[in-house]
Amino acid sequence: MDRLLEETTERLFADHVGKATLDAAENGGFPNELWSRFHAAGLHLVGSAGSDTGWPDLFGVLKVAGRHAAPLPLAEILLAGAIDGVANETHSPAFTTIATGGVAPWARAASRVVTADGETSTDFACSPNANLAGEPRDEVTLHNATPAPVPENLAELLALSRVALMAGALERILEMSLEYARVREQFGRPIAKFQAVQHNLAILAGEVAAATCACDAAIAACGTARFGDEVAAAKARVGEAAGVGAEIAHQVHGAMGFTHEHNLHHFTRRLWAWRDEHGREAAWQGRLGRRIAAATADRAWEFLVGD
Amino acid sequence: MKQGRLAFDAVELPPEAKALRSEVRTFLKAEWPVDCWPNSDFGAGHDPAFSRKLGERGWIGMTWPKEHGGGERSFFERYVVTEELLAAGAPVSAHWIADRQSGPLLLRFGSDAQRRRYLPAIARGECFFSIGMSEPDSGSDLASVRTRADPVAGGWRVNGAKIWTTDAHRNHFIIALVRTEPQGENRHAGLSQLIVDLRGEGVAVRPIRNLAGGEDFNEVLFQDCFVPDENVVGEPGNGWTQVTSELGYERSGPERFLSAFRVFVEFVRAAGPNPNEDEAALIGRLASHLMTLRRMSLSVAGMLQNGESPAVEAALVKSLGNDFEKLLPELVRQKIDNLPWHHPLERSLRQTLLHAPSFTLRGGTREILRGVIARGLGLR
Repeated sequence: MDRLLEETTERLFADHVGKATLDAAENGGFPNELWSRFHAAGLHLVGSAGSDTGWPDLFGVLKVAGRHAAPLPLAEILLAGAIDGVANETHSPAFTTIATGGVAPWARAASRVVTADGETSTDFACSPNANLAGEPRDEVTLHNATPAPVPENLAELLALSRVALMAGALERILEMSLEYARVREQFGRPIAKFQAVQHNLAILAGEVAAATCACDAAIAACGTARFGDEVAAAKARVGEAAGVGAEIAHQVHGAMGFTHEHNLHHFTRRLWAWRDEHGREAAWQGRLGRRIAAATADRAWEFLVGD
Repeated sequence: MKQGRLAFDAVELPPEAKALRSEVRTFLKAEWPVDCWPNSDFGAGHDPAFSRKLGERGWIGMTWPKEHGGGERSFFERYVVTEELLAAGAPVSAHWIADRQSGPLLLRFGSDAQRRRYLPAIARGECFFSIGMSEPDSGSDLASVRTRADPVAGGWRVNGAKIWTTDAHRNHFIIALVRTEPQGENRHAGLSQLIVDLRGEGVAVRPIRNLAGGEDFNEVLFQDCFVPDENVVGEPGNGWTQVTSELGYERSGPERFLSAFRVFVEFVRAAGPNPNEDEAALIGRLASHLMTLRRMSLSVAGMLQNGESPAVEAALVKSLGNDFEKLLPELVRQKIDNLPWHHPLERSLRQTLLHAPSFTLRGGTREILRGVIARGLGLR
């Protein structure tokens, strides 16, 4: 990912995604100001044709978005923009979201819906709903739909978007857990000094490192024949890391992390939601497993190595 | 480590790796038909003749300078060779330690004479080393070693005992960590590393039978064993720094997550080309871990290639990898019915289950590794 782009995105979210924004979005209100700023910075064009940016930048932005739990449907906005000729809005605040199985993130605020089945319309009925992180996941019915040129690998691209978001959120809960363990004192010393706590944090760090690695491998495979397999491995592996990681982060934060007032749940609930969206671990494990079985045992190693 | 956060930068293998990989596969097909060994553990097969064949091809000491018998090749090329050998279950134990850590240690800290004497022989696959760290009363707490070397004319007189010394009954030399000065306030001071001839006078090797019935590790006893000055590695008293510098090499390689790989392959074979839902999901789950661990391990190879000392990253790879290679047989056994003992999957499952307790002990216990990671995270 381009360094300057990463810093710009990081700064924008660090400055403008706070507890108040997150809570307001969870109550169903679209964060217009955040979206305007994102748009004004030109970040909505990342990954689109002629923008001089590519897949690593697009998914890199999503990783940063995950690190801040940015309450915008950025995966859908950026992917719709990257699909040629689908998203043709040029002015803020209009945006396109993507529906799979009749459900689209933030359809209530969107101007256009594209479906994974290859239809699009600006005319749609919308029934509000949310995932377990409180992120809007609205049920949509399209009227007067026209064909849209969605790519064959849209399911993989959407799965990878959740991988990138999860990798970012995992990095963040590791940072939060390390920080909390250093300042929270019990028995006269920071809990970071207790071996039992240290070992849990070491496990968390391992899961975070594994998640980042799996995510980066899948991003690097964009546009290659390995893409589907790398995404399958990444969604499966990072989904596992999300469960283990969120559990440890909560254990370290104690009862404080179980409150609504604390920030931790904005990340952990998203991890629990994102690991389910666009294929749970078992679904991608099965897909990867069938590919390896079809390659046969004698070629299993070659399959894993990709050579 | 970068900025207190563990970073595993993605690495791509250089183009020459591809040709090398197929060269290794061709060699293995001829020299080591893949189904003749039930496991993929790096410690499972000690075969000097096989090691010599690898030496002939330049696949031992690959990264070392040519003047010392090496091939001046990259850590990535070495990685390709080692992972292919392990995946095929090839018998690599004879030269493994010498290639992985004794050689690099001598290259970095050894004298010119030591480098000339040992490195070319190691690279030919003719000279094998064992690790001399653990003692009966010093396992994880390595700095508490009590084997003593007292100065005498022309060298040192060694007394004490090492234990869990893999292949000491088959290898030529041991690099023993010994106390050359009485322990003072700084318990890391006063330690030195000595090259000791395992067949020399004053050295007795006693095999220890393991729970699987094998005799791979030993007790090594030193009784007034004379070691000449020329066999001190590096500076006397610098042993702790040297011994900890070996850990990046020791802990991050593919041997830290491939010990149970054979079980995976045999499970794929048993499931066949059309596995049921459960079988497919397990194959995929294990594969997702293997692919990720390999990326992380390769990333550490990249750090070694850049001349870094990735002790914390290596500890993390080993810790994750060891837990995975223990989990693998546990998950597989729940997806199969009882099989006859001679079934390839049953054989490799039995072998692996019996050896699994050692995975999270050898080369640094899980508990020690987590401590190293915690220190890297700034918690200690």
